[in-house]
Amino acid sequence: MDEILDEVGSPEELKKFEAIYNQQLEEHSVTTDATFNYAWSLVRSRYAADIRKGICLLETIFNEDREQTRRDCVYYLAIGYAKLKEYSKALQYTKAFLNLEPANLQVQSLDSTIRKRMEKEGLIGMALAGGAVLALGGLVTLGLALSKK
Amino acid sequence: MSGGPYSYSYIFKYIIIGDMGVGKSCLLHQFTEKKFMADCPHTIGVEFGTRIIEVSGQKIKLQIWDTAGQERFRAVTRSYYRGAAGALMVYDITRRSTYNHLSSWLTDTRNLTNPSTVIFLIGNKCDLDGQRDVTYEEAKQFAEENGLMFVEASAKTGERVEEAFLETAKKIFQSIQDGRLDLNAAESGVQHKPSQTGRTTLSNDQQPNKDTCSC
Repeated sequence: MDEILDEVGSPEELKKFEAIYNQQLEEHSVTTDATFNYAWSLVRSRYAADIRKGICLLETIFNEDREQTRRDCVYYLAIGYAKLKEYSKALQYTKAFLNLEPANLQVQSLDSTIRKRMEKEGLIGMALAGGAVLALGGLVTLGLALSKK
Repeated sequence: MSGGPYSYSYIFKYIIIGDMGVGKSCLLHQFTEKKFMADCPHTIGVEFGTRIIEVSGQKIKLQIWDTAGQERFRAVTRSYYRGAAGALMVYDITRRSTYNHLSSWLTDTRNLTNPSTVIFLIGNKCDLDGQRDVTYEEAKQFAEENGLMFVEASAKTGERVEEAFLETAKKIFQSIQDGRLDLNAAESGVQHKPSQTGRTTLSNDQQPNKDTCSC
């Protein structure tokens, strides 16, 4: 499962999805699909700034959309935060997902991959102490930032 | 931790594609874990699995990208086709619509992979013969007309699942031997790891039967 966290998308693809998204923005008719595809390609980027932007977009969709899309967003939010090494936030999302679908092997496997990375990087203690607060705080801040746009 | 049974000399990239609910993730799970997953939820985006196999005395690591079948992921999953050495194209023998969509999957595959990519057609759920909606003969003919390899398999019983993954690898390996597949090409989907034992840098590599596939 490490591969899911390590793989990066191509810059051309990112540009393609960015162009579609921007065009829809100009036309004031942004679809969830265009946003999701753009967010997903940002999360696959090798650059932290792109990943953060992708996370913001995923959180926007998460806050306004249907249940099915939310499920996808939660999964990719976990991946995004894990790629940024913000493991405690990532685990908040896998945990939330597994609360709803405890038997989901795809997410179980992501969850355990993130835990292994944390362990390797010696961050378990820190996460236990500050994880919940950080994740909640982060969400609220991002939510506010987005709503002001 | 070094070399031993988990070293390998080649890496082949595979993709698994096809309509939603045809059993792509279950086939992968059966291949990597030798288990059947009942009540498998829809895959989100892509999934990954790996297993080391042996072809003509060479250890080969298969890196398998299992794509979500839902239409809304098509734009996203298309980006995984590039650089695939093998493509497993799956339909469900009990649902005709999944068979009817094969030409669209095939067009995507041909457009997004390279000419040496081996495409293997799998008619899944052959354990449900009573509910069959697509005959073996017509699928066989479709495969022949399009130059695809073909089996009917069952992710549930495991029947011919190994065969599909292994035959694809054999065909790829053959292409390497014949020189039809250029290992230096950026998108051949094959990496050669010339006799370096202990090339297994990721912890996952040591345990191909753990943590690899999930659905």
